[in-house]
Amino acid sequence: MRATIQNINGYHFALRPTRTKWDPSHVILVGLSEREGHWAKIANGAIVCCECDLQGDITIGSRTVIHPRAKIIALSGPIIIGENNIIEEQVQIINSSETTMVIGNNNVFEVDCHVESKFIGDNNIVESKAFVGRQTSLSNGCVIGAKCEVLVAETLQEGSLFYGAGSDVKRRVQSDKPSAQGAQIEFLSKVLPNYHRIRKPLG
Amino acid sequence: MELEDTLFSTSEYVQTHTGNKVSRQSTLCGSQNIILNGKNIIMGESMIRGDLANVRMGQYCILSKQSVIRPPFKKFAKGVAFFPLHVGDHVFIGENTVVNAAVVGSYVYIGKNCVIGRRCILKDCCMIADDTVLPPETVVSPFTIYSGSPGHCVEELPEAMQDLMIDYTKSFYQHYIPDKDVSGVNPINLVTRK
Repeated sequence: MRATIQNINGYHFALRPTRTKWDPSHVILVGLSEREGHWAKIANGAIVCCECDLQGDITIGSRTVIHPRAKIIALSGPIIIGENNIIEEQVQIINSSETTMVIGNNNVFEVDCHVESKFIGDNNIVESKAFVGRQTSLSNGCVIGAKCEVLVAETLQEGSLFYGAGSDVKRRVQSDKPSAQGAQIEFLSKVLPNYHRIRKPLG
Repeated sequence: MELEDTLFSTSEYVQTHTGNKVSRQSTLCGSQNIILNGKNIIMGESMIRGDLANVRMGQYCILSKQSVIRPPFKKFAKGVAFFPLHVGDHVFIGENTVVNAAVVGSYVYIGKNCVIGRRCILKDCCMIADDTVLPPETVVSPFTIYSGSPGHCVEELPEAMQDLMIDYTKSFYQHYIPDKDVSGVNPINLVTRK
């Protein structure tokens, strides 16, 4: 099983679980870190719930909505997220390389998708449980369907669309642009602060 | 055939007076909008997004680990809103599943790692196989099994599905018992840094 990184009270541990129980002898102290949020630069107007997991050097543009339990982890390099994005719960955006990871505007990352791609343009949709590998770059208007794993080492053409199941993923190009999510972002900006604590934007 | 006992640690779960067993590691957002009708099991690290819209679950529902129940989103002429989500009785939802449906009927079995698309309607007594992806706005008819990506009807279920699900969920609930011998697991002695 993979090691999981657990955040307990602001300290980060790597735990190697044996079967389903965590054996104390397998706990390794990876490193102490400040409570997350101190290194994230959040623009005015972004709605970032406190329960999401932000680690490392992250910049978040205005009007971006990040739902609780999202994980944005800038392990070695920084992550820059543009405006008007929607990042839903259980999404993992992980930058494990040392170059900057750039995410553009108006993107939607649906529940439980996993993104390691270094460059994502505008107006893309990554659907539930999709996986976008490190070598792939999304241009504008791409749609990665649910549960698709996209590992191709190329910059995807504008409007490309991936569909199908895990290993049998097909692609085609669509001419329509994915619809704008402005209305949903407005709705979430009004509703989420009523139920969650929002991280304070800096500046 | 009796199910085996599944033990959970007492410190990890909260038992309400109506018999709901809710894990402390689960996230129930907007809990005032979530109605659990009794004898439900919400296992660890799952999420119910009650903050987006009302979520109502019937009796004997089982929500496995890391699943997400999320009301779907609908654009009306005058604006947008999240639809309330109704889940019926005796529903089993597998691990790691994302349920974005508008209505889930009663006596439904949803496998693990599924993606139920937005505004889907799952009628009573249907079954969604593991690893299925249901596209948005699919209507799953009663007594069918859907599987694949995109989900298609692959098989029909016997009429006993209702009794089978009642049996399964009731006995799962009765065999999900606290492990009284487990003391609180504390993996490390933390030296607090203040």
